Amino acid sequence: MKKTRGSTPTALDAVDPKRRLRNVALTLGALALGALALYLLEGIGSSKLTQALALCAIWGIATVSLNQINGTLGILSLGHHGFMLIGGYTTGLLTLSEASRRNIVNSARSTMTEDTLALSMTNLFNSLGLTGLTTPETEWVRFVVAVLFGGILAAVVGLIVGFPSLRLRGDYLAIVTFGFGEIIRLSASTRIFSPLTNGALGFSGLNSDFGKSVWWTFGFLAITVFVISKIKYSSYGRAMQAIREDEVAAEAMGVNLAYHKVLGFVISAFFAGIAGGLWVSWLAGVRLEYFLFSLTFFFLVAISAGGTGSITGVLLGTALVVFVRQYGDPLEETYSLQTWLYIASAVLGIAAVAAAAFRTFRRLRPRWNPSVWVPAALAVVGVVMASLDPAFLDGTFRGFGMRAIFLSVLLIVIMIFRPEGIVGRAEFSWGRLFGDDRSQPTDEERRQDAWLSNPELNKSAAVDDASRRLPEGGA
Amino acid sequence: MSVASHGSTRRSRRWLPYVVLGGLLILIVLRMSYLMGLEGRFNGAFFVRALIDSVKLGSLYALIALGYTMVYGIIRLINFAHGEVFMVGAFATYFLFTVTPYGWVSALLFAAVLAFGVNRLVALFRTSPRDPVTLGATGVSFVALFFLLQAGTWPFWAALIGSMLATGVLGVTIERVAYQPLRTAPRNSLLITAIAVSFLLQNLGLLTLTNRQTPFRPETGLLNAVQLPIGEQVVQTNALFVGIPLLTLVLVLVLHNFVTRSRLGRAMRAAAQDAETAQMMGVSVNKVIATTFFIGSILAAAGGAMWGLNFGSLNQPAILGILPGIKAFAAAVIGGIGSLPGAVIGAVVIGFSESFLTALFPRTADFQGITEFKDTFAFVLLIIVLLIKPSGIVGEDLSEKV
Repeated sequence: MKKTRGSTPTALDAVDPKRRLRNVALTLGALALGALALYLLEGIGSSKLTQALALCAIWGIATVSLNQINGTLGILSLGHHGFMLIGGYTTGLLTLSEASRRNIVNSARSTMTEDTLALSMTNLFNSLGLTGLTTPETEWVRFVVAVLFGGILAAVVGLIVGFPSLRLRGDYLAIVTFGFGEIIRLSASTRIFSPLTNGALGFSGLNSDFGKSVWWTFGFLAITVFVISKIKYSSYGRAMQAIREDEVAAEAMGVNLAYHKVLGFVISAFFAGIAGGLWVSWLAGVRLEYFLFSLTFFFLVAISAGGTGSITGVLLGTALVVFVRQYGDPLEETYSLQTWLYIASAVLGIAAVAAAAFRTFRRLRPRWNPSVWVPAALAVVGVVMASLDPAFLDGTFRGFGMRAIFLSVLLIVIMIFRPEGIVGRAEFSWGRLFGDDRSQPTDEERRQDAWLSNPELNKSAAVDDASRRLPEGGA
Repeated sequence: MSVASHGSTRRSRRWLPYVVLGGLLILIVLRMSYLMGLEGRFNGAFFVRALIDSVKLGSLYALIALGYTMVYGIIRLINFAHGEVFMVGAFATYFLFTVTPYGWVSALLFAAVLAFGVNRLVALFRTSPRDPVTLGATGVSFVALFFLLQAGTWPFWAALIGSMLATGVLGVTIERVAYQPLRTAPRNSLLITAIAVSFLLQNLGLLTLTNRQTPFRPETGLLNAVQLPIGEQVVQTNALFVGIPLLTLVLVLVLHNFVTRSRLGRAMRAAAQDAETAQMMGVSVNKVIATTFFIGSILAAAGGAMWGLNFGSLNQPAILGILPGIKAFAAAVIGGIGSLPGAVIGAVVIGFSESFLTALFPRTADFQGITEFKDTFAFVLLIIVLLIKPSGIVGEDLSEKV
């Protein structure tokens, strides 16, 4: 790209303008193809598939925003469910239908007051004189504005949660974020906030048209990914990555630690709030049980599996986790104990083979250490016992919670064998796909190289050569 | 595990803790006298009951907090799974005093686990888990336990000991499988693994143990009713108000003696100070870490069994361990993580702030009480302590250095 007058060169100037055009065209094309695919999937797919896709997008927003703290800023944050709770309850309260509000008024156990029940987008638009936005056709406007409100409120809380990061580091900070998440969740049902949250009852009967629509959810996801990736490659994002690599060095280079850390938290909390708003719409209701710590745990699995710090990887990981969550029902059904023993033996056998392959591949010695023969022996014992079909294997057993067990084991295995995740920190890019990095140098660069390596033109190159030759002669 | 004396407190501020403590005491006494004048039911017996509750709770938290603080002292890991180890301890006790006698298959499995625990226990005082005495003890106990498990219902004390051994084995297994491969990994990876282990144990508990509230009422003299005359009133309680603090005291003293007197205890202190140098001096750091997990889990199991006795029932496995675990962790931080006396002091502080504070601010005519903020308060306290004094009351400064 030709340098325009007065502008300082940036990293983007290194990209050939033709390639930039190609990249933008390809991105738009991919988006169009993705939209077409969504359209087709929505048309032919079952509602289960549509729901899974929508959930994928919603959790994608959450994980991409969590990755802003965990991956880009390098701070382990465990309070994401708290931010989502704030966005979720805000959206729920603001978009609750009139019928549901009447139900709450009539309910004896409700803890809400007339004032808090009057908080709705419809009333807000009416008081602003925007009566055109209170019709059933414009419900989407109210939903979007409510979700944005939720995001902003979550961002404000993110500001507060971000401040301890100025004093603390590492696992202490992780505990503090966890503490904040739990404080938000626990205090939502106390008498301070129960007029707003309806205590342990929550809200039910939310409109799930938006949360279960692939268009709205993927639209929000596209915006989130666009904004977060723009931030990642901006000066802010590079400062945050510098903080991740070495806080002291970053500070020495002039990075304002406090500003960038708190900024990271605020951005992350904002998008978490938006994800929370979509999540309650997907669930068609708001309850405290929807915002347990396990939510953050699943995001953590997604991020760690895909690749901490990489938006591409995080989205891959989210797809994996959502797939297990939505399509893992066979794991939780009732089978006979004998079948379970066979399954467990098979898993142990696979683990033993994998461990043996791993040790061979990494050339670890001794090859037959306990991580190989213990699962192998247990698998053999299991198969033998199951095939003998003794009396004590006559019962049946329901795999209650098997999906969560699978995901936690997955996380442990990933942490041990591939802590950087599937794709590591690499991002998808058209340039990488087309091998731009491996391209030949331009004529200009060739000329520069020629000049640099010609000792007659470049005196320092000659000196370098001489000094390089010296030790060989001396030795 | 701080052993070196910390005389770094500036002389000019030595009086500060005493002033704070004295002020708090005066405030508490004033509040108590105010309440006593307010309503008839806030009498001496009311506060004595609250005091007993806080001492019991504090002792329970101390048993859990010791595990957190020991592990953190040596490998700088917040062992998120410790609350779940406590949960397993409680349920192991339950399954040993209710479901016994076992059939031969279960007896075989349990006896193997318990014998492994015996092996580890004897190995604490021998040079190696494979020396003749340890192996002999393991074999004999395996055979004996195999028949004892089939013989009849176990009394509570036997269930308690069995659960401590089994849970110790669990702790060692967790360390070996999940944490040991990550010795050189970044600390965030270790913490994430700990969270995953905690989640795994919760769901395994749901899967294999039970998914509902479980009554915990063993036949034991500890539950005998005791009447304490306080002035004209009588406080109805049971023998646990002596039993729990006494058990904690005994275990803490044994632990203290072990850490300060024994060979392995000295190795533990060396590893806590500087694991790398200790390794170079011939300390087997892996063995020390395994021992730490073993002892921490044993204490947590004792805490779990006593928890069940104290409350008469156990929550379902997925939620039983979380709050006690977090509160005990808060206790370890308040006391100064890495320090054994600190963990006990912090646990007492948490126990008092949970039980006695709710008694100081009870539900009255014009005030709804603070019971519903009890759990939130533990987190708030944790955050405040971390922000103001991360080194805790007696701990050394563990903030990362360049």
